[in-house]
Amino acid sequence: MLEVQQLVVRYGAATALDGVSLRVERGEMVALIGPNGAGKSTLLNTICGLLKPASGTFRLTGRVAQVPEGRQLFAEMSVEDNLRLGAWTIRDRDPGHAYTLFPPLLQLRRRRAGTLSGGEQQMVAVGRALMAQPDLLVVDELSLGLAPMVVDDLAQHLVRLNRDKGMAVLLVEQNARLALELCPRAYVLEAGRIALSGSSTELANSPAVRAAYLGAAMDEVV
Amino acid sequence: MLFRLVRPWSAAVVLVLLLPLVLPNALLTIYIFIGLSTMVVSGLSLLMGFAGQVSLGQAAFYAIGAYTAGLLSRDLNVPPVLALAIAPAAASLIAYVVGLPLLRLRGHYLAFGTLAFQLITLSAIGEARDITGGDTGLTAIPPLGIGPLIVDGPFKPIVFGYLAGGLALLTLLFNQHLVRSRPGRALRALATSEAGALAAGVPVGRYKLQVFALSAAYAGLAGGVYAFFVSYIAPGSFPLVRSIEFLIMATVGGLGSVWGSAVGASVVFLVVQVLQNLGTLPGMPLRAPAVFSYAVYAAILIGIMLGLPQGVVPALSNSTGLVRRRTRGAPK
Amino acid sequence: MRLFLQYAASGIATGCAFALVATGFVAIYRVTRVVNFAQGVFAVIAGMLAYTLLGQGVPHVLAELLAVVAAGVVGVLIGLVAIGRRGTSPLASLIITLGLGIGSYAVLILIWGDQPISFDGFKGNLDVGGVTMQLQYVLVVLLTAVAFVALGLFFDHTYLGRGLTACSSNPRAARLVGIDVTRMGLVAFGLGGGLGGLAGVLLTPMQPVSFNSDVGIAISGFAAAIFGGLLRPGTALVGGLVLGVAEALVAGYAQASLQSGVALVIMLGIMIWQAGRRPITADEDSA
Repeated sequence: MLEVQQLVVRYGAATALDGVSLRVERGEMVALIGPNGAGKSTLLNTICGLLKPASGTFRLTGRVAQVPEGRQLFAEMSVEDNLRLGAWTIRDRDPGHAYTLFPPLLQLRRRRAGTLSGGEQQMVAVGRALMAQPDLLVVDELSLGLAPMVVDDLAQHLVRLNRDKGMAVLLVEQNARLALELCPRAYVLEAGRIALSGSSTELANSPAVRAAYLGAAMDEVV
Repeated sequence: MLFRLVRPWSAAVVLVLLLPLVLPNALLTIYIFIGLSTMVVSGLSLLMGFAGQVSLGQAAFYAIGAYTAGLLSRDLNVPPVLALAIAPAAASLIAYVVGLPLLRLRGHYLAFGTLAFQLITLSAIGEARDITGGDTGLTAIPPLGIGPLIVDGPFKPIVFGYLAGGLALLTLLFNQHLVRSRPGRALRALATSEAGALAAGVPVGRYKLQVFALSAAYAGLAGGVYAFFVSYIAPGSFPLVRSIEFLIMATVGGLGSVWGSAVGASVVFLVVQVLQNLGTLPGMPLRAPAVFSYAVYAAILIGIMLGLPQGVVPALSNSTGLVRRRTRGAPK
Repeated sequence: MRLFLQYAASGIATGCAFALVATGFVAIYRVTRVVNFAQGVFAVIAGMLAYTLLGQGVPHVLAELLAVVAAGVVGVLIGLVAIGRRGTSPLASLIITLGLGIGSYAVLILIWGDQPISFDGFKGNLDVGGVTMQLQYVLVVLLTAVAFVALGLFFDHTYLGRGLTACSSNPRAARLVGIDVTRMGLVAFGLGGGLGGLAGVLLTPMQPVSFNSDVGIAISGFAAAIFGGLLRPGTALVGGLVLGVAEALVAGYAQASLQSGVALVIMLGIMIWQAGRRPITADEDSA
């Protein structure tokens, strides 16, 4: 579904991605974890066509939509307008799709998006991305700034979407524990390179990952 | 390779010493105007390249300098050389006063603000008919001179050639030192990010004002020389287009590049001069010179912004090492 | 009192035209964050083109309509040069529009020469409560009202209009959603061109235009636009009216030559006042 080969992306003189390769199959849920500044958002933006790679390729079979970091809603516009704009590239602009998935949005539909709570805004952001009826949903830092319960709720939505509609999900997260719990497979991106990859169980048990991302103390690991 | 042996300053000094003696009068007049433009443009280049401020009203200070020198020497019997010295002081004083509120503006607001200042200045000069002669202008400005030595007659172009060339060289020298100094580095910080400079403790407001006043002084001095050279000035001598010309010269040469002002002034002035000559050839329609000038200004401005936003000199110096580029003063 | 109303009436008419120019500034700025220095050129081109078409026998309304559409096309062309290339910073785009404005002088002089041009608008007068108003004024006010209503409907009730607002609200998110922000910018430029053109065909019967009239028109339009911070067309309308009436009163009661100074002084005053209330980072353009 998504195949990235040796992707190199530069910002001026700085190299953000230094030969990244990864794969997401149809209907898979894959996690991408790593520290701040590793290049995760750069990768997502390249896949979504916002950035051009210096070298390397990526191949996408199907539509991709992004739930961006920090929601990035159109704050002065209504919830409904935000949702409908998600369908810019396709013909079907019926926001009903999003309302079915997130019933609370139906009541909020005339509210200005900037006046919603963090969790509600995240719902709008996900709903907006889903309006494009993508085959691959890319989610950048779902949990940022949200209460754990809200995050869990949203995460369950994603899992259900993946399971019932067969939509592939690439979950980019600083919260490694969450990401590894939700997705069966994961990559670790560090300083523009894929440092580790494998099944989530493997990674969760790996001492390096546990020390760096899962909060285990170094001496525990050794 | 020869270029690397010839240092820019030495070449410049030689030119300034020789050209007024060597050039025929018509070319000498062009040389003088290029020198005067260089002075104005060097100030504008500092302002735009380092302080990051767009000014569309430099011609206003040029006018202020010219009128100050003209009025003082003609109506108040101030010795011409003293009047010439007062001209930049007057221009920079006005710049200080006007700059206090004006420089609170940034980006496109400042562009419109300086444009408004230029238009208001011209209007004011036109309205103060009793003092300035209004739209008909200031005639019979006395010649430059010290005591019994009067600059007139056949030697006038040569003397003004030395004056314009010498003053232009001095302003470039001064700018070079300014750019390398501590305030100069602070200025460069300003061009990149004002908020960042503020955070670093740079007295942003004060520096912007000082650069603004300095650029006005350069323009005022050039204006004073202009007044004595042509002996007749009117608001029509300082139209908006003149400010745009200065902007174009600064952009061509490279904002923030010390030598860029000289290069820009020369290139643009010569190109326009050639085109105007072409336009006045027999057979050309009446308005051809104006059409050519406007077309060329447009082409240069757009071309530089799209192609070489840093200007000609920085681009050249990157490839030949001809001129040691001092800074990266690209417009934001 | 009658004299005052007379001045006010003509001021309201010119003010409406300024408001249209102002809305052109706003439309372009909202979507692209570029201030279009060539905004006045649209008015001049449309005025001159209408003059030519009318001279060729093209009937009223059609001639003006064609002129406005042509101005819109010119807007798109200007937009192409100003923002067509990715990576052009807003300040560079501003200087480019300045250059294009100057370039227009060459074209205008070539085609129409350098003398002022005007044509007859709606002839005749209307007597309202003892005040004689030119019918042209009424026309201007009516058409401006129509234009504003149409714009409002466009932005609030059409998908394209919402797309434009999205670009203005959050360009990054707009790109993510698949909106071609550059193309939207061109639409905005076309809109700005049409609005400027409409102002031009309405103004020219009242004040003759020549190749460099664009500066005064742009300044008046910009002065009105900044009432609303370059973002709100409704406030720009108010600004335009205030400006138009102020200019008319100054020209009538004081001196005609001070008229242009009114816009300049008001513009400076507003900008400096606003600058005092704005944080520095708000003005740093992100390229």
